Amino acid sequence: MENTFSVGLKNNIAPQQEYLLQGSIVDLHRDVLLHRLRGLCDNADKQPETFSDHEMVFVLRGATAQQNPVLFRVRRSLDPPDDPSWHIRYLGTSEIGDKNRHTLVRACFDVACSNNVVKFLNEMGFRSDHEYCVKGYFFHKGRMKVTVSKIYRMVQTGTPDGNTQEAMTQSSLVELSVVAPAGQEQIADDMKNFAEQLKPLVQLEKVDQKRLSVQ
Amino acid sequence: MAVSSVTVSVEPVLESKIQEVKLDGQEIYVPPLSMSENLTKLAHKIDFYKDESDEKGKPTSEGEKDEAEEKVLTSFEQPSWVWDSVRNKLKAAFTEMAVLTDVLNIIKEKRYMVADPVSQDQPDNKPSVLLLAKKRGLVSAGSVLISGAERLKRSHSEHSNRAQDDYFIELLKIRQNWRLKKVGASILGDLTYKTAGSRFFQGGTFEVTKIVDDKTDTSTSHSRGSLEVIIPSELEGVAYIQVEVKSVPEMMDLTSVTLKMPAGLGVIRSDAYWQNKLEVAQNVLFCKELFAQLAREAVQIKSSTPHIVVGNQIITNAFPGIQLSIVLCHYTGKEKKIPQAPQKLEHNHVLEHSLHQLLREVHFKNINYVAPHPVNAMLGMSKRRRLAGPQGTSRRELVEMNVRDTLLEQIIKQTKHAVLRLRTMHVLDELALCIQDPQITAHWSCLNSSLECCVRINITAYGYEVVRSSLVLIIEVDTIQAILKDSRTITLSFEDKALQDLILWQISQHHIQVVQQLAKFHAWTVVSTNFNVGVGDIDLYGTAASLMMASPKGDKVLAFRSGAYNKIQMYLKEIDPSEAVDTSPAVTNPKWQKIIGTFQAVDVEKLQGKTFSQKVDMVMAKLTSMS
Repeated sequence: MENTFSVGLKNNIAPQQEYLLQGSIVDLHRDVLLHRLRGLCDNADKQPETFSDHEMVFVLRGATAQQNPVLFRVRRSLDPPDDPSWHIRYLGTSEIGDKNRHTLVRACFDVACSNNVVKFLNEMGFRSDHEYCVKGYFFHKGRMKVTVSKIYRMVQTGTPDGNTQEAMTQSSLVELSVVAPAGQEQIADDMKNFAEQLKPLVQLEKVDQKRLSVQ
Repeated sequence: MAVSSVTVSVEPVLESKIQEVKLDGQEIYVPPLSMSENLTKLAHKIDFYKDESDEKGKPTSEGEKDEAEEKVLTSFEQPSWVWDSVRNKLKAAFTEMAVLTDVLNIIKEKRYMVADPVSQDQPDNKPSVLLLAKKRGLVSAGSVLISGAERLKRSHSEHSNRAQDDYFIELLKIRQNWRLKKVGASILGDLTYKTAGSRFFQGGTFEVTKIVDDKTDTSTSHSRGSLEVIIPSELEGVAYIQVEVKSVPEMMDLTSVTLKMPAGLGVIRSDAYWQNKLEVAQNVLFCKELFAQLAREAVQIKSSTPHIVVGNQIITNAFPGIQLSIVLCHYTGKEKKIPQAPQKLEHNHVLEHSLHQLLREVHFKNINYVAPHPVNAMLGMSKRRRLAGPQGTSRRELVEMNVRDTLLEQIIKQTKHAVLRLRTMHVLDELALCIQDPQITAHWSCLNSSLECCVRINITAYGYEVVRSSLVLIIEVDTIQAILKDSRTITLSFEDKALQDLILWQISQHHIQVVQQLAKFHAWTVVSTNFNVGVGDIDLYGTAASLMMASPKGDKVLAFRSGAYNKIQMYLKEIDPSEAVDTSPAVTNPKWQKIIGTFQAVDVEKLQGKTFSQKVDMVMAKLTSMS
């Protein structure tokens, strides 16, 4: 498969990489973590921002049994209820194994889209794989984004309501990510230093996605 | 037959029992019983409580008895066999009880037996030992109390010294107000605005130390506290930004500006309280950042008017003839003493405050990102920018979104607006003073911003306020928008004269409107009005207005013409019925008599009445004849 960068470059989409560290914290201690993050990140004097998103993952499988189907993540915000902003994200495969890199690095293409994207993707041949809701808190420090969120499974597909969701786990997912143009190693070090400060509460580390997926 | 017999031996099993098997397979045998042990084992097997008559081995003294007796006995005793043991036990118990009673009786008699208690050793009740023990106890209790009292005394003496306590309390206070960090053995703090969004390169790290001197007397040490802060050398002293707007002769070259030395403000004392020191140092840093930003913009940005940066001054022309100068005054106390009279500083406090606010806004925008919804979206963009793609924003709109005014441009705009506003006020005030006839009143709106404000001007005639001309002026950055009564909009430049012309023109129009109203009162008929008269001399500004009205009977006609810069002219035509021209019989209606006649000019100055409307009122009253 062609390098995702060159593909992106050819089609005038800004090639960017996502640097990611993930961890989790039990719900009981989530408030302690929120307090800590509020002190560490920018804007300590404001209440932390909340967000509530609904994500659908679409898969395009090739004609032959290809190894890697293309995955598109379509996300929309549920916060202003009558004005959702839709967003498509494509994430490339990540290269793990490099001991010098502290974070997970993968190509990332982010595109804002209009609200008929689901229909469009269906017409193109994508099939909906799964969907879920994410709700949580959002912090930022410089260009680092930290989210503490809970993932909810949709009991019935369609419009996500409060009562048609159920939490999947008793813990929250903590993610530290930076989206930046390719080739800046400084970012990984900064992220690692930030993760060190959260150490006893939550351990942020790079998680190998390939090992997690069940085929 | 002699068969060799097979010896059969009967032996006990000589194997000893296994007591334990060790982990390595070794077996430990129970050691075989010795003779004495064997004996005891057998003895235990004998049940002494069984009846002797059970045993076959009876004593031989009774052995000669008949077996029949035995049998009889045995047969006789068989039914009571079960209770025999019980009977014997009871018998034994009874015997023992009898013996005990006997012994007790004998003891009671005290003749042959006496019961004596068993003697015990008496404890030695020596008083000296007791005393020693008590003394030791008291000594230990006393020592505990003494050590406690000593500790209290020590802490009390420390309290009175106050040095140690104060340091920690002061450290707590300083920690509540400033960010401190312990690096090695020293405590460092941060003066910069970095956490509030500043991206200035200059650092402001101060160090916190303890004052350790016991020799100073209490009076000075009280005022200092026990904490000292050491401020970096480049932030020492006092600084402020001075903004001045002054008018200079227009032909003056910008390069020959007069440089001003900053007047000396008091320097902060070296033994001032740490909070004051830190605040002053932070202010110095803020002023430096502000000036650095302004200077950078003045040099880099190409604009229509040139800016000059000289040393610690930025000079630019807001309007031709109006100069704006921004000076960074930093007085460190190390300059040579210049014997000069203290200059009167002309600060424009409003603009200085605006500058501070603008820089704070820049800081705020650096830090406060709009939260991306959904969270995956790019950080740092406004929602409109994020939706630019899906909503198909054009390139021009995108460029507009990104273009933002620099600090210098913003302050220049504010200066221009301030100057324009002041000028407008000045013009209006002067006109109101000069022109008494219609009264000019200005109502300034209380809702205004630093770049826009609004004023409503009312022109009324004294005594005849029914008619009111009004116009609205919106004062913007460098133009004034005037909205007239009939909603025409005129854009005026920043010159005074334009506004003056406009107002005079409105006044002239107002005159005609008042006369129109008067005609209604007096029941005169307005023959014609024209606000854009196309005949006669061209006015200096605007158009002239004219009005012609006839008396109720039709025999008097008044005509008016007023322009911005011309005095109002009044003409009167009186029709004398005696001048009746011979009419032909074809003309039957007497009204045709009224068209003849010539107009005569009336000197408005000589008429009676204070204001023009009064004069006209009086004239009309006189000319109206009821007959």
